[in-house]
Amino acid sequence: MAIRGIDFPNLVLMDALDLAILVEDEAQERYEEFAAQMEQHRTPEAARFFRFMAENEAKHGRELTARRRQRFGTAAASVSRAMLFDVEAPDYDAARAFMSSRKAMEAALACEVKAHDFFDQALPAIRDAEVRGLFQELRAEEVQHQTLVAAELAKLPPDSGLSDEDFVDPPAAQ
Amino acid sequence: MSPTGTCDYQPKDYKSDLKPIWCPGCGDFSVVAAIYRALAGIGRPPHEIAFVSGIGCSSRIPGYTTAYGFNSVHGRCLPIAQGIKLANPDLLVLAAGGDGDGFSIGGGHIPHLIRRNMDITYIVMDNQIYGLTKGQLSPTSPKGRNTCTSRLGSLEAPVNPLLYVLAYGAGFVAQAAPTDLAGMADVIEQAIRYPGFAFVNIQSPCVTYGEEGQQIKGLKAISETLESLGHNPADRLAAMDLAQSYGSKLHLGVFYRNPEPPPTYGDLVKERQDLLSQGALPKERILELFVKK
Amino acid sequence: MRENDPEGRAGGAGSGTYLPMRTNLVFGMAGSGGDGIVSAGDSLLQAAAAEGYHGVMTKSFGSQIRGGESSCRVRISTDPILNPGGNLDVAVALNWEDFLKFGAELPVSGTTVVIYEAATNIPENQIPLVGIMPLQVIAVPIAAMAKATAGTERAKNTVVLGLIAGWFGIGAVAVMKGLRKKLAKKGEELVEANQRAFDAGRTFAMEHPLKVSMQLAPSPSKGAQKLITDGNDMCAAAAIFSGCQFFGGYPITPSTEIMQFFTDHVWKYGGTVLQAEDEIAGIGAAIGASFAGKKAMTATSGPGLSLKTEMMGLASIAELPLVIINVQRGGPSTGLPTKNEQSDLFAACFSAHGDVIRPVLAPTSVADTFSTTIEAFNVAEYYQTPVIVLSDQEISQRKETLDPIDTSQFTIVDRLRPAGSDLQDYKRFKQTANHISPISHPGMPGGTYLASGIEHTEGGAPTNSGTVHARMNTKRTKKFDSLKERKDLFEVTGNPDAPLALVAWGSLAGICREALALAKADGLNVKLLVPYLLYPVAEGTYRDFFASVQKGFIIEQTHLAQFHKVLRMHLDLPKGVKSMARSGANPFLPGEIVAALHRLISELQRSHEHNLQPQE
Repeated sequence: MAIRGIDFPNLVLMDALDLAILVEDEAQERYEEFAAQMEQHRTPEAARFFRFMAENEAKHGRELTARRRQRFGTAAASVSRAMLFDVEAPDYDAARAFMSSRKAMEAALACEVKAHDFFDQALPAIRDAEVRGLFQELRAEEVQHQTLVAAELAKLPPDSGLSDEDFVDPPAAQ
Repeated sequence: MSPTGTCDYQPKDYKSDLKPIWCPGCGDFSVVAAIYRALAGIGRPPHEIAFVSGIGCSSRIPGYTTAYGFNSVHGRCLPIAQGIKLANPDLLVLAAGGDGDGFSIGGGHIPHLIRRNMDITYIVMDNQIYGLTKGQLSPTSPKGRNTCTSRLGSLEAPVNPLLYVLAYGAGFVAQAAPTDLAGMADVIEQAIRYPGFAFVNIQSPCVTYGEEGQQIKGLKAISETLESLGHNPADRLAAMDLAQSYGSKLHLGVFYRNPEPPPTYGDLVKERQDLLSQGALPKERILELFVKK
Repeated sequence: MRENDPEGRAGGAGSGTYLPMRTNLVFGMAGSGGDGIVSAGDSLLQAAAAEGYHGVMTKSFGSQIRGGESSCRVRISTDPILNPGGNLDVAVALNWEDFLKFGAELPVSGTTVVIYEAATNIPENQIPLVGIMPLQVIAVPIAAMAKATAGTERAKNTVVLGLIAGWFGIGAVAVMKGLRKKLAKKGEELVEANQRAFDAGRTFAMEHPLKVSMQLAPSPSKGAQKLITDGNDMCAAAAIFSGCQFFGGYPITPSTEIMQFFTDHVWKYGGTVLQAEDEIAGIGAAIGASFAGKKAMTATSGPGLSLKTEMMGLASIAELPLVIINVQRGGPSTGLPTKNEQSDLFAACFSAHGDVIRPVLAPTSVADTFSTTIEAFNVAEYYQTPVIVLSDQEISQRKETLDPIDTSQFTIVDRLRPAGSDLQDYKRFKQTANHISPISHPGMPGGTYLASGIEHTEGGAPTNSGTVHARMNTKRTKKFDSLKERKDLFEVTGNPDAPLALVAWGSLAGICREALALAKADGLNVKLLVPYLLYPVAEGTYRDFFASVQKGFIIEQTHLAQFHKVLRMHLDLPKGVKSMARSGANPFLPGEIVAALHRLISELQRSHEHNLQPQE
């Protein structure tokens, strides 16, 4: 279950907005972590892509935050990160040392699909009209993001088909 | 002594600045994230937490938290953790390591911590291989497994960590995996809250040396929650029965929780200290014990 | 130590040749475990203490848990005692087979009175001590007397105590007083049986006076309060006194009593003791307790020290205070578990892979086991290091009377804790002028850090940088420079310019102190160095000591002359300074050391005249 402790039928707009912000937050953090991992393991192209994704998530987060502030000011949030479990953030399992840009983008694409499915599956239970509207909007955005990432993917030259293992050093014992 | 705190901590308050040396994709990333969540749920300040480990990839974990960490020597985190807990019973003491650290070289220490029942939580990141040293056979590697020290196939039946720990009499035994992140954070928090020795075995795949079938997809295929099976965690024998499927099934959740936790070792020590400290000879006069009467 | 009383009082049950009263008597008694020899020795020691004498008792056994050969040696004196003594003044053999098993540990000579069991049916002129003509040999029907008076042969040991009271004037009243107290719970009948056996022995002695009287002179300090204790108990008591609140260990002869003391007493001081599942867990728990901010210790003997090696290295690199008591016994491996030896020196100094300096201290007596253990805790805390205390089987197990010790003379040192300013961006292994960093512990806000066996930066982060590693090695080794300057950890007696020298440590120091006094009485110009700090080697102190020395001995109970070699690793010894080393269970006698010194003097005199002058 990607999210815990949320009563979807009774979800109100403020909480929904806060949740959406946290989803972006979680994803941004994860992409930044991935970027750091890629840098640590000398995989610069994937690192650059993950930084790009992190910035995207940050931008969406900022937009949603602005909307939330406009509508609800600085009222304390009643939802928290503890309720989220990789809603839009890539699974830790998705990263690999020496991963190609293609693989990195495929991981991001999978996240957009994951997030889309989350909003899609949550929608039928939502009763509040404004929240429904928000979720539909967010679902549509995920489709947009998928298109964007797919476009980036298409620009990539095809993978060589050769295995990394044939080129890279074997692992070092510690 | 309840380990819970009263402060409002976020998972990131438990995350240190040290960048993990783990391979991208390592299951241990999920484990440390789950630990951050569990600790936030408990709410003790980082400086009241002591986190001891042995040697191995997973044993690097204390350095990635803001707790007082002790990355000690191979197989010996449990005695050190016990010394810490005995010296300061108010601390929240965690121990962690891999399957080799815990069940091979460290195996001799497990039964004794269990029978002493000290309030310590032990998390084992079980990936059925020795990762740090480049992929050797581990005590939980299945029989016949091809590793760099068993290229012709392992001749040994593996340890069943769940069954061993249940048989030794542990009061809290659970298993988790990154296939269910919420469940993992949950059992870790429950383990810490349990007033006594608690054990969590976490199937944490090694992306560099593990086999294909052991990765997340493979784990998902064989996993089922103990709750969904209608298991009663107060039933140790039923737990041991289910534990026998270790290796072929991945059972997630709480195998056993003692419904009536006995006093911890620390409780008994405190009782004795309170009793005997009354009327004790002051330290400065301790030689009077030897006076020829 | 003088053999004769200058006032020359004779007296007691000796009506033969006139001789001054004795100020010192060494008893050696042997039989089988069932004979209660050790209990008898204990009673004798207690009685001597009650009468105000100084006393020392050692025990020696065969390998059986019960019923094997069993012996004790009790030395009683009007003056303070330096060691358990050499040749016996009195030998008591309840049977010859067992007595002879102890060989050189119970040396009989021409000045010994031999008392033995008549039921062995060996004539007095045919006792099996080859080539020795004792001063007097007496067969006593000990078993028969026991049976007749107490109804059981098992009361032999009480008969022996009666004989001793009669012939040597010790414990005439005190022995039975002690026995009454000890046996009170077991009933009046048993006490009375023992009284009859004791009286029978005493009567026999008075009716068969010795050819040469050997009565012990009256004690000068009758009524003064004395302690009776052994090295292990003193060690444990010192630890508690120092504020040690954690003991982790495992049973191993001859150190187990230290753990037992903790299990009886440490709770009273808010501390804990853990008998762990093995030696490694024992020291591991102690390391954990130290990490948590408490003073902690473990205790073991040779085999356990070997097992603890990895953990000791961990404590060194993590710079954690820890006291490790190693009570040496015969090695290697299982070796001789109940015999004294000093052969763990190499292991104490050098065990643990990597570049490690680990202080090693050694007590020389039961009394200074107390002060040495306190010092070990102080050194451990100040330098944030494991410290090994090398005691040995003899000191640890020998029971001794002591004058009370004023504990207010001792200073207790605690580890350097971080001040408020240190806790802003705290660095656990911060470089400082003296290489010692303030150390925090779990529970202290602002002080969180990662302790580790892996090499680390000042902040504690793991590193494999060569530069950092060299700096950290320097920190961890140079911090001990000030320890090597400590003159108070060395005892020098004798003329500072003497050309002859003895160097000895541990229980051998007591033998050499007596040898020194005898040598000086013989007019020899000799000095003695007793190091309490064995490692790191204080080169400066040794160089100063050896500056005047032309000949001498490094004396030790090791087969490989370990201490001699450790010294020569660090400094050049004068050519004429040699090793005198032998394996355990082969005791040194003060007399033989004095004889060896005489030979050295002859060599010196035979060489050119100018060699007698100190080198310019």
